[in-house]
Amino acid sequence: MIPATLNGYLAIAVALFAIGLVGVLVRRNTLVVFMCLELMLVASTLALVAFSRFNGTMDGNVFVFFILTVAAAEVAVGLAIIVALFRKRQTIQIDQLNTLKH
Amino acid sequence: MKPNYTELFAALSPEAALIVGALLVVVLDLTLGRKKIAEARWHAAVRIALLAVGLAGCFTFASGRPGAEFGGAFMLDALAQATRYSVLVLAALSLALLPGTARMRHPAEFVAVVLFATAGFSVMATAQNLLIAFLALELASLSLYVLAGFDKTRPESAEAALKYFLFGGVSAAFLLFGFSLLYGLTGSIELNVIARELGAQAASPLLVVALVMVLVAFGFKAAAVPFHLWAPDVYQGAPAPAAALIASASKVAGFTFFARLLWSGTGASSGQAPAWMLTLAILAGASLLLGNVAALAQRNLRRLLAYSAIAHAGIMLLGVMTGTRFGPGALLYYTFTYGLATVGTFGVIAIIERAGRCQDLDDLAGLYRRSPLLAGCLLMFVLSLAGIPPLAGFFGKFLLFSQALRLTGLTGPAGWLAIAAIALSAVALYYYLIVLKRAFVTPAVAGTEARIAVPLKPALALLLAAALLLALGVFPSSALRLVT
Repeated sequence: MIPATLNGYLAIAVALFAIGLVGVLVRRNTLVVFMCLELMLVASTLALVAFSRFNGTMDGNVFVFFILTVAAAEVAVGLAIIVALFRKRQTIQIDQLNTLKH
Repeated sequence: MKPNYTELFAALSPEAALIVGALLVVVLDLTLGRKKIAEARWHAAVRIALLAVGLAGCFTFASGRPGAEFGGAFMLDALAQATRYSVLVLAALSLALLPGTARMRHPAEFVAVVLFATAGFSVMATAQNLLIAFLALELASLSLYVLAGFDKTRPESAEAALKYFLFGGVSAAFLLFGFSLLYGLTGSIELNVIARELGAQAASPLLVVALVMVLVAFGFKAAAVPFHLWAPDVYQGAPAPAAALIASASKVAGFTFFARLLWSGTGASSGQAPAWMLTLAILAGASLLLGNVAALAQRNLRRLLAYSAIAHAGIMLLGVMTGTRFGPGALLYYTFTYGLATVGTFGVIAIIERAGRCQDLDDLAGLYRRSPLLAGCLLMFVLSLAGIPPLAGFFGKFLLFSQALRLTGLTGPAGWLAIAAIALSAVALYYYLIVLKRAFVTPAVAGTEARIAVPLKPALALLLAAALLLALGVFPSSALRLVT
């Protein structure tokens, strides 16, 4: 088995972040966009844990617990907004949300 | 480090007052307010909230022992204290405007979320540690998403909330990734340690990536081009008091937060000119140009205000650049006076909306006949936004531009940006005068000539904002002394 290196973890973190960002930009379904958003947060979490391990300090690990909490709160607020929107418009496709126009 | 919780409580007592106030508002509304009519519940909730904000102001005054608190996690310097006062004043004004827009259900929840957001802004002003900074920013942002979508009778409100949420979520993810890289480079999440470590090591590509990610998040918070797309939609769709808070207090806290991050955390990284200076100059130039030009084409008053906010964000970014040498005074003065004028303008919109529609510029027609008070206040706010002396908007612009010209003269980007900003101010004057023309010259459309009744609290809030703008414009030095 190849020993885990900091660069390996970082590469995975960057890849996750990139997948999440592309998903947010490309996908049209709000729920999928929302999941991609969470993926971006998870990428930073992974980077923080890896840095924490290789720096030898605990700050990064503590940070992660708070990120998990914030992500949960974000899910609550986000889903509430999606539900409120669905009740009014009966759709959550982003390209159909064009009441607000230039 | 041995934590001292008494000191921590003393330092954070203003935020504690806000949170307790928010909980009280909700609990009292659920127990005592259930049988009352909506109007009474609104007034009770707003009264408690104003009391909490006032208490927070007193506690801020009492916690004025300057220096780092709690092992350097919080910084109570002049900038933090002045930002706290500004945020509290702007939040109090937004709260006082609420009884004027009592069309939404669930008054207590709205008021409580405003208080949570204010607590978030206030912690943002003092944070000196990446973790605290991130949590404060998220507390404020999540509250603002809820406020933007609070009006459940209109689909526009939910749509604005979703757009704000998605843009905000992406920017938070960028900020977090930037933070994790900064932590990886320095092994610490405390800003002064990060600054020391970054000063000791050579500039690396990883640092550039981290800075770019932080700047993306900054651009979103400031509504700078090219991260501005949420602003017009949110300003248009959100309920007016929520839009007032998003446009004012959130701006003040966001600029203090990111300026502190850039100045103290990453400013020392590469010799005399920090690496982020050029990127910031590009963002500022693009915002100035696009904001002012796009505002010319707007028929919708709220969208016009949004594009004017983007243009103002360009000037504020200029203030972040000059602040490295001249201190934070001018930047904070500008953001605060801009916030006052914006809260006032949205307050006028909110009160007109009580009597009817207020989206398009044409909805302002005949305002002078319908309510001389509102028209007079609108005149003050819009002229301050345009930068006409003796109002505070003029002095803020004057101070920032003169500092930018002194920073590097015309050899650096700041000087040229200042000249561009002065030229574009003339463009801005045109669309601000169009707003005033509708309010003062154009006669009202048939059927909407009825006079607008202005309730007492919103009227007082508008007059107070206008008086503050005048006083700060006439005596700017006394306000600036607070910061330096």
